[in-house]
Amino acid sequence: MSLPDAEAAAETRAAVTIGRPATDLRELWLRPTTQTAIWSHFAVVSAEKNGSADWSVSGSAFGTYRWRTVLMEDEPDRLRWSSQEGADLPNTGVLIFRPAPGDRGTELHLDVHFDPPGGAIGAALGKLFHLAPREIVLTALYKFRALAVTGEIPTTDPQPAARKAGADR
Amino acid sequence: MRALCWNGVNDLRVETVADPEILNPNDVILKVRLSTTCGSDLHLIDGLIPTMREGDVLGHEFMGEVVDVGREVTKVAKGDRVVVPSFISCGQCWYCQHDLYSLCDTTHPKPELQEPLLGYPTAGIYAYSHAFGGYAGAHADYVRVPFANTDCFKVPDGVTDEAALFISDAAPTGFMGADFCDIQRGDVIAVWGCGGVGLMAQQSAMILGAERVIAIDRYPERLAQAEAFGAIALDYTKVDVVEALKELTGGRGPDACIDAVGMEAGGTGLQQAYDRVKQALYLETDRGTALREAMLAVRKGGILSILGVYGLMDKFPLGLLMNKGVTVRTAQQHGQAYVDRLLEHAQRGELTPAALATHRFALEDSPTGYRMFKHKEEGCLRAVFVP
Repeated sequence: MSLPDAEAAAETRAAVTIGRPATDLRELWLRPTTQTAIWSHFAVVSAEKNGSADWSVSGSAFGTYRWRTVLMEDEPDRLRWSSQEGADLPNTGVLIFRPAPGDRGTELHLDVHFDPPGGAIGAALGKLFHLAPREIVLTALYKFRALAVTGEIPTTDPQPAARKAGADR
Repeated sequence: MRALCWNGVNDLRVETVADPEILNPNDVILKVRLSTTCGSDLHLIDGLIPTMREGDVLGHEFMGEVVDVGREVTKVAKGDRVVVPSFISCGQCWYCQHDLYSLCDTTHPKPELQEPLLGYPTAGIYAYSHAFGGYAGAHADYVRVPFANTDCFKVPDGVTDEAALFISDAAPTGFMGADFCDIQRGDVIAVWGCGGVGLMAQQSAMILGAERVIAIDRYPERLAQAEAFGAIALDYTKVDVVEALKELTGGRGPDACIDAVGMEAGGTGLQQAYDRVKQALYLETDRGTALREAMLAVRKGGILSILGVYGLMDKFPLGLLMNKGVTVRTAQQHGQAYVDRLLEHAQRGELTPAALATHRFALEDSPTGYRMFKHKEEGCLRAVFVP
């Protein structure tokens, strides 16, 4: 097994194992509603059936960042997408499906590489979005796993609490 | 609705909050009939567990009546009287399929908070800090229960609300601890702690065929309850526990020891003083007196079953376990694996969890209930709240 060796990429790599066949997972991943749901902690994603998607990240002190991604590679065991020319935050993502041993289903290895303006990565990106790049990727994978296994993504928003208007939002 | 909220260390208040709503298709809403205090809540109240937020609704041990159901819910319907384990489990992931329900892969809404602490996120739990999911608790008029098809269990006729209440947590946790002991004919089981979980572990060990059960605590009312359940009671302030256990087992030591105490163990001697100082300075979260004693007392090749809740502890004598070849088994409760069986034991009168309900309060008086529970006033074993 080969792993990407670029040190900079390490922080944006994460993996989960899901007890479902790769074909089902691949189909679920490419559904536009899935993309919107699993990235909601990070971006507003409006995806299309052909795998293209418009991304928008706002709420940071630096305003709103927008970009469009298109599928560059569409294989049974691998999806790769990349932002198009003019992106506010250029990035590429690779999702690899591998069979897990025994009855454990499929391993999903996700690597999203952000290339922010000015070349600063990691901590600087965290400042922009209040999320570490690895957290962005891992949370998306955890949400995807929940959706694939149970049909829903766990949430507590909103729920009762003695805070804003009696709720936790 | 009204709910008991955490507002800081030792600051509990009953407040008006929003009602819970169905958020996902497998959710139900329960009208809470009864909820209860748990020793692990004291860790939150005392500020030993980080990531609580002011205004969080407390309470993870409860039962109630279904009043609203999500569109995917098939197992229960409006009007059903149900009990719910404190960990939220989907029933469909690899862990749930292997009866490891508290390790469920899919129910933690904030996995990014817990993954750095434990390596991997566990199941979400009601009212046990945001690192453990941040789900609102059940010391309230209503509570939202996700994954009702897996997590709601109908209470059969002949099992009272009070008995069913403890089948939410104390009973399945105690039963799991006894199950971990792999009890064989002739086995002697020692249980540190005669709180709700310890007492349920003792009764469970008897149900599972233990020859003899020995209960260790310091509070007379709790030791009396252990004796009423059929255990031999040891007061650790009056006897040398390890010597007493040797005496009671012909020098062999207990075949298995269950720690049902956890991070706020009472104790005597220098080690206890050391732990208290370090805990007060937040240099460790745990006082481990009971656990260390169990490690010393357990027979060679025996089993140590840990149910007490722990965070960080130093002076953990691993050599005792290694040199004696002790097997350690531990988990947060995998309640969904046991609840049906426990309801049957309760129906037949073999398990009597209602004995834990020594004090009853209206929800409005729940801060008083927690105070009495924390300080064990008037023999308070568990405070039960009625919304």
